[in-house]
Amino acid sequence: MTAVAAPAPQVTRPRPVPWTRLVWVTWRQHRVALAGVAALLGGLALYLLIMGLKIHSGYASVMSCHPVHSAACLTLSGLFNRDYYPFAQVFSIFLLAVPVLVGVFTGAPLLARELETGTFRFAWTQGCGRLRWVIIKLALLAVALTTASYAFSLLWTWYFQVFFTEGLDGLLAQQYFDLRGVDFAAWTLLAFAIGAIAGVLIRRTVPAMAASIAVWTGLGFAVNLFLRKHYQAPLLSTSGTIWENNWVIGQWYTGPNGTVVSQQTIRNVVAHAPGSVQHSPNPSAVTAYLTAHHYTQWASYQPQSRYWHFQLIEGGWLLGLSLILLAATIWLVRRRAA
Amino acid sequence: MNVIETAGLSKRYGRTWALRDAALAIPAGYVVALVGPNGAGKTTLLHISVGLAWPTAGQVTVLGIEPAGSPAALDQIAFVAQDAPLYRNLSVADMLHLTRNLNRRWDQQRAEARLGELSIPLERKVGKLSSGQQAQLALTLALARRPRLLVLDEPLASLDPLARHDFMASLMAAVAEDGLSVVLSSHVIADLERVADYLIVLSHGQVQVAGEVEGLLACHRTLTGPAAAADDVAQRLAVVYARRAGTVAHLLVRNNGAAAPAPTGWEAHPVGLEELVLAYLRDPGAAALPGPRPRVTQDSGIPA
Repeated sequence: MTAVAAPAPQVTRPRPVPWTRLVWVTWRQHRVALAGVAALLGGLALYLLIMGLKIHSGYASVMSCHPVHSAACLTLSGLFNRDYYPFAQVFSIFLLAVPVLVGVFTGAPLLARELETGTFRFAWTQGCGRLRWVIIKLALLAVALTTASYAFSLLWTWYFQVFFTEGLDGLLAQQYFDLRGVDFAAWTLLAFAIGAIAGVLIRRTVPAMAASIAVWTGLGFAVNLFLRKHYQAPLLSTSGTIWENNWVIGQWYTGPNGTVVSQQTIRNVVAHAPGSVQHSPNPSAVTAYLTAHHYTQWASYQPQSRYWHFQLIEGGWLLGLSLILLAATIWLVRRRAA
Repeated sequence: MNVIETAGLSKRYGRTWALRDAALAIPAGYVVALVGPNGAGKTTLLHISVGLAWPTAGQVTVLGIEPAGSPAALDQIAFVAQDAPLYRNLSVADMLHLTRNLNRRWDQQRAEARLGELSIPLERKVGKLSSGQQAQLALTLALARRPRLLVLDEPLASLDPLARHDFMASLMAAVAEDGLSVVLSSHVIADLERVADYLIVLSHGQVQVAGEVEGLLACHRTLTGPAAAADDVAQRLAVVYARRAGTVAHLLVRNNGAAAPAPTGWEAHPVGLEELVLAYLRDPGAAALPGPRPRVTQDSGIPA
């Protein structure tokens, strides 16, 4: 069979479908997911707002109590801590799951549902082309979710601020690090990006969600337990006491010759100390005894002053990873054969 | 200009070839029936044409635009996939609005008028429509885009006979009105007999027959005569397919040039489209266009 005799007419590149029209498409197709996100974040935000107001007014009355060391004021302060602090701690830990819920439940169905139900054959053969279609959807939803979760983390920051001010917790504490600053939004974006690429790879909504949750959670634990402490070389201290809001990473002793010794060795040394040292109510007596015998207590820690530095490092690489995953998703949609 | 033109088009899925060195040039202005058994490569060919699949080798040009599946090409092609996948949770009106927003050209009036004629309510959810109505909606969405080429993959597969008839009637009315080219695939040849004016038979990933229906029917006929003389006739005529039933042989022959008078003792009959397609499909070695290879196959079938 021969090719056409006449050359194919030169097709002038048509003006593409305007972005604004695709915004409507995105809104119409994902408004249910966005409403779900709004309901979840809105409900939690309302709770944070109500409790936050109570906490702040309670704290204001503690602060205005005078004289500070009177029994009445100490009781008031104790009641304040008892009433609000433990529950705020537990509640905040549950909030760590918000980014994955918001991100995965929006991101995973985005492409998986199209591939699962076959509607991608409709969507990808329209005049706008699949490239613009996927770019605008991913971009709009990513921006919407990131903004919403950033706003939510600002609210949580206000809600919990009193307890940080009081020094009850350090800013670098593992259970709160992700809730403040830029990281809450960054982890949300990553969950969305993982969901989106899992959707295009797995092509089924529920398995894609399950896989995304597993990957995100695994990554979250790995960062919290192993990675974050290495963002910057920890400081070393031999003072024996570290301000508690710094993040203590490791503690050990060195012996008279400068090598690390085991806990058992230290216990043996202390066991030979005079009774006055062993039974002293002041723990620094033991430290002083050990120092006198050339045993040094070491601690490595991350000072709280590094909080924003750590936030930016983590937020930065999470953002970078998210963008790579989103770009890979777009590439897969572009290349993916049906 | 050709609506779809392929050269050496091949597509492999794992170890199986869905298409193998398929060469085609479908001229504009026809309703093209793409037929062949399941697994012949029909869907693969159509998907490659609209950019839903990439060829392993070879080229494809659609409406003279390359590459297939680019926004420039998709702007002028409307594709309705098998089972007419649409968003079931959207209302018909939202489906119209959505399609309008995904395309540069859109004829809202026409879409609404068509749906009105079909009594498909705009406020109903797509998932609540019958499969016939969903197919009609998909066709409406495709036509409202004012395409130059309409590609339909097994549009009739999931429809009952009445819905099939209505669907084809709508399609033919639109073709008459717009003069657009249509390529539709089916494994049920009877459905296409009255509407298609160009035929492509695909078998085992290769193009076996391609040509105008009228011309194909005119240059084929069935000869019925004594089985004993069949081999003798096959020597002289291009036999596409032969069936012997007892002492009688039926030969589907292809005329090269003007139809010669039937040999003595033989009776000639015109062939139908379905008969023609089946004859070629039964013998994958035969092909119309590159020239049929005569062959006589022994068939102990039921006496006629």
